[in-house]
Amino acid sequence: MNIIKRKVWQISESEVTPKELFEKRRNFLKLGAASIISSGAIMELLAKEDLPKVTLDFIKDKNKDNLKLNTFEQITSHNNFYEFTTKQSGVKDMAHTLNTDNWTVTIDGLVENPMKVNLDDLVKMFTMEERIYRFRCVEGWSMVVPWNGFSLSSLVKKVKPLSNAKYIRFETLVDPDVFPDQKRGRFGVIDYPYIEGLRIDEAMNDLSFLATGLYGDVMPKQNGAPIRLVVPWKYGFKSIKSIVKISFVDKEPLNTWQKENSREYGFFANVNPNVDHPRWSQKKERVLGSFFKQDTLMFNGYEKEVSSLYTGMDLRKYI
Amino acid sequence: MKRLFLYLLTLAPLVYLLTRLFIIDDVNDPIKYIYTVTGASATVIVFFSIIISLIKNKLNLMKYRKEIGLLGFFYALLHLLNFIILDAQFDFSFVIKETLDKPFIYLGMIAFFIILFMAITSRKNLYRKYNKYHKFVYLFLILITIHWIMAQKAISILQFSYIFIILIIGYYKLLQQIINNNRSLHYQF
Repeated sequence: MNIIKRKVWQISESEVTPKELFEKRRNFLKLGAASIISSGAIMELLAKEDLPKVTLDFIKDKNKDNLKLNTFEQITSHNNFYEFTTKQSGVKDMAHTLNTDNWTVTIDGLVENPMKVNLDDLVKMFTMEERIYRFRCVEGWSMVVPWNGFSLSSLVKKVKPLSNAKYIRFETLVDPDVFPDQKRGRFGVIDYPYIEGLRIDEAMNDLSFLATGLYGDVMPKQNGAPIRLVVPWKYGFKSIKSIVKISFVDKEPLNTWQKENSREYGFFANVNPNVDHPRWSQKKERVLGSFFKQDTLMFNGYEKEVSSLYTGMDLRKYI
Repeated sequence: MKRLFLYLLTLAPLVYLLTRLFIIDDVNDPIKYIYTVTGASATVIVFFSIIISLIKNKLNLMKYRKEIGLLGFFYALLHLLNFIILDAQFDFSFVIKETLDKPFIYLGMIAFFIILFMAITSRKNLYRKYNKYHKFVYLFLILITIHWIMAQKAISILQFSYIFIILIIGYYKLLQQIINNNRSLHYQF
């Protein structure tokens, strides 16, 4: 795959001395030995965490909430990807069968500009960004991920939905040669293809994101390569992986988990500590890599950005 | 020798769990992982304890049956402590509310009280009086099976194969009961 590869002569943004530091060079020097020690420690940490080489170009996220990132190792070894297996730690070693070369995304339905486009060409149409988001799974675990990709709204604007398009339906690849669980037919864990959906206004929210990478490198296969949705105020299952089709429709799509068990999972799946899952509490979450739990925030901490989408809706009913 | 081997076998999951958590340190979701290992160990060990009488002609472990049952209880206790200490962080009102609220949790809780009762009444003097109630082990096994399946987001082949194995064990246990009943009838006449 070929997502705006860095040119040989371009140096990485992380290698550029930040402007503030450059200007305060004297102060910087005064920090003296301490800074050398600490940056050495950081280098050591980076090496220890085995971070990927940054290969993508993007506008960095300022991380204004000061979220503490989960490690690359944690993010890439704990995956719900039922097409492979229900075992979260097992996806990593199975995902090599997913071939993302020459990936084609079909955008169709109620739009002015439908397209069937090679992913590399699609990505070139948009500004690449980094988004550091909380990610909360309906099962009760959570992590913080630095995603790379582009805003979903920019794609929506590009294809120009018709006025009767009210929802967007997303679909994951179906290929039994790639995904063992799709080979099992009726004995598979869930029905395929995996389907998810958003209301158009949800899709137009600035938080909605199509991710093609994380930690500055192309998307690891187990995380839903080569392109996946990220809607951080909703439970993780809404953030559909390995997308092949994006359709603009007039009716609410029946998403996979609602179809599996509509008593427990709905269309909206907004993170909400006040509404329990029928089988377990959603008040707190287990942060990956920690023995301790933390409080789950309303809309996963994005209340300010998204609560207006749901005014007047009974969030106990619209789960 | 047999005893040593049994202890090594039954304590292996605990050693494995602690190694993964603190030495290899590669567990992403420790609380859930502790649930899985302790729950699965308790289940397998208690299931094994009811098989002992089935296989006694091939491998006689009858005299270790009580200890094996107690080891099963030990894992069930760790499982409950995980709920109270790490998951609920000693918030007892949360523990009580969840227990009353969520079928998945009250089934597990009832199962725990069953095995707690059996563990307490396994002492020689109490066992004589209460051993007839130790048939509740079957209820325990049914409850924890439902508890385990309810903990899954979706049921996969693993759960189906587990149920399949249980049905086989259940079949042989039933057969054993019928044969025993017939035998005691014969003795009466």
